[in-house]
Amino acid sequence: MKFKTLTGIASTLALCAGMASADSTVRFWYHFDNADNPMDALVAAFEEANPDITVEAENIPWNSYYDQLYTAVIGGNAPDAAMVKMFAQPRLVEMGALAPIDDWLADWDGADGLQDNLIELTRGPDGQQYYLPVQYVVLYLYYRPDMFEELGLSVPTTCDEFRETAKALTRDTDGDGQTDVYGFGFRGAKGGHDHWATFTLGAEGVSLTEGLTSEAGVAGTQFVADLFQQDGVFPPSAPNDGFQEIIGAFKAGKTAMTIHHIGSANGMVEALGDNVSAAPVPECGGGHWTAFGDESTAVLSSAEDPEAAWKWITFLSTEGNNTMFNEATGQLPVVKADSESWTLHPQRFVQATVDSLPFAEMLPNSSATADFVNTAWPTNMQRVLTGDIEPAEMNAKIEELFAE
Amino acid sequence: MTHVSETPKHRASLGRQVLPYAMLTPAVLVTLAIVFFPMLQTAWMSLHEYVLFRPNDFTWVGLDNFKAALNDEVFWISLKHTIIWMCTTIPAQLLLGLVTALLLNQEFPWRPVARALIIIPWALPSVVIALMWVWIYDSNYGIANEFLLRMGLIQQAIPWLADPDTALASIILTLTWQGFPFFAVMILAGLQSIPQSYYEAASIDGASAWRQFWHITLPGISGVMMTAVLLRMIWVANSFDVIFVMTGGGPGYATHTLPLYAFIKARTNLDFGYGSAIAVLFTLLLMVVVVFYLKRTGKAAS
Repeated sequence: MKFKTLTGIASTLALCAGMASADSTVRFWYHFDNADNPMDALVAAFEEANPDITVEAENIPWNSYYDQLYTAVIGGNAPDAAMVKMFAQPRLVEMGALAPIDDWLADWDGADGLQDNLIELTRGPDGQQYYLPVQYVVLYLYYRPDMFEELGLSVPTTCDEFRETAKALTRDTDGDGQTDVYGFGFRGAKGGHDHWATFTLGAEGVSLTEGLTSEAGVAGTQFVADLFQQDGVFPPSAPNDGFQEIIGAFKAGKTAMTIHHIGSANGMVEALGDNVSAAPVPECGGGHWTAFGDESTAVLSSAEDPEAAWKWITFLSTEGNNTMFNEATGQLPVVKADSESWTLHPQRFVQATVDSLPFAEMLPNSSATADFVNTAWPTNMQRVLTGDIEPAEMNAKIEELFAE
Repeated sequence: MTHVSETPKHRASLGRQVLPYAMLTPAVLVTLAIVFFPMLQTAWMSLHEYVLFRPNDFTWVGLDNFKAALNDEVFWISLKHTIIWMCTTIPAQLLLGLVTALLLNQEFPWRPVARALIIIPWALPSVVIALMWVWIYDSNYGIANEFLLRMGLIQQAIPWLADPDTALASIILTLTWQGFPFFAVMILAGLQSIPQSYYEAASIDGASAWRQFWHITLPGISGVMMTAVLLRMIWVANSFDVIFVMTGGGPGYATHTLPLYAFIKARTNLDFGYGSAIAVLFTLLLMVVVVFYLKRTGKAAS
């Protein structure tokens, strides 16, 4: 009897073990600023459709997202799939951390449903495809129509106009001798390279990889320095201001313009109602430059079950699910059908995004880009703003970084 | 009979000889594994070119990383800040801690509550402290500016953390606030070990309060103070969490210290070879303090 019970238990255990091995688990890393994110709902929907796959989705804080991802890859504890941005791709490819998805992509019928050109834009440095786009944004200029109207100003379309407008908007509104409103909320901390790039990289023949130390290139950085040091149109805290600070100051009416993307549109409308609008960034040095803010998902080469990971990431870039995903991040869907039925953002912000698309650019597909974003740009920009170094020196350092 | 009585004695003495080692072994093994092994690894990495996103490229470069560090402007800026940081934070903490301890040693109602409350800055996590002070210093909404403006001490809000002239000083103030309870508690313990009879004898001899402090209190707590200063020097030198959260080393290099620079190089730029070299150089500098501390504790033990 005892023996029978034992064998019974043993066979049940063996059966369970057998079932467990047929199942696979996908560990997925992502970053959402939004506290009430719907990842749980997406995971539940996916698991219902794919009962043999379990998804463990983990929200990693944005500030250390890539530090953690790189170290996890090196430490052999990388997730199976992760949300990734273009600037990180060259480095991840160099590390051999990504699994190519070309073959799966060829067989996936959802590929045709994606916005045109996105697959092309996100191709890897070696010509293989690793990234599957999941959302996108384009940076544009936020401004306060009420303040513009009050002062009889129009939205600046060139850098010269921008400077004059910003100066006019910087004022002491209650007569206590303190500046209450600043013309532009400049992001001097990590992530602010897009602001600087708008004023610098629009010029003919200037990019991060060439012409940065030319007269036109240095003039761009000088322009930013002058706006802060001479014109005083940025808040004094600009050198240290990050995302929270620039958005907070704009919502609080401390700044009259700033540059960000549609992701913050709803929060701004909530705070300011109709007193916030958007337009493409001004043209500087004879050309336009704004950042194409990408976000993709990728399967890691160390994935235990790459097929399952691929299934999960395609699920996120499929009609309906892509809407749910973007409702959480406040960005724009990459699936055509989802874009057409998109109602999450007021039309004026979608329009500013669409108008900015023709000149939106991405950072170079180079392994130096990560250092540029994380340390070289913020440190040198802060040194220029605080008068520690000259603009020419900053541009020379960045050029040197990309030349290595 | 003799034989029987000797064996347990022999056993006991053997046991007494082996037991300490046996009991220390786990702690020593753990320390070796989590402190000494990474230390050796760091020293080994510092002699190589090792950039984490090129995991297969681990090239021996000898002392090149050290040479590069000594020629690196940022290394010297960070070293200067580290020295300023240590030479101001610790005396400030000590002084504030001493005053607090002397106050807490007086008889007054609610003394136990005051003693418990004073420990709060020390008990809070560094990240919480850093975020709290970032808000205090905020140039738009911060209470520091609001207070000074209302008092008429400043005319314009000062961006405390965004101005390179005030950023380091602002962080030093934060650290002083965080660390003084440690001194207060240590010195308070020292104060309580001074027999009351010394003071009674001194006052019979007509010694003033200052004389009593100088000749009885200070010698009585000097040992505790010395140990606390040395310990705190090592902790403060190594700590970068508050700076990292408050400014990330910025604006520019205005609040870079050596441990922070090593961390940024290794963790953000993934240049572990160079980051390790900076860490090793800093360890060597700190070794002077450590040797002094070890000598002191050795003396105290003997």
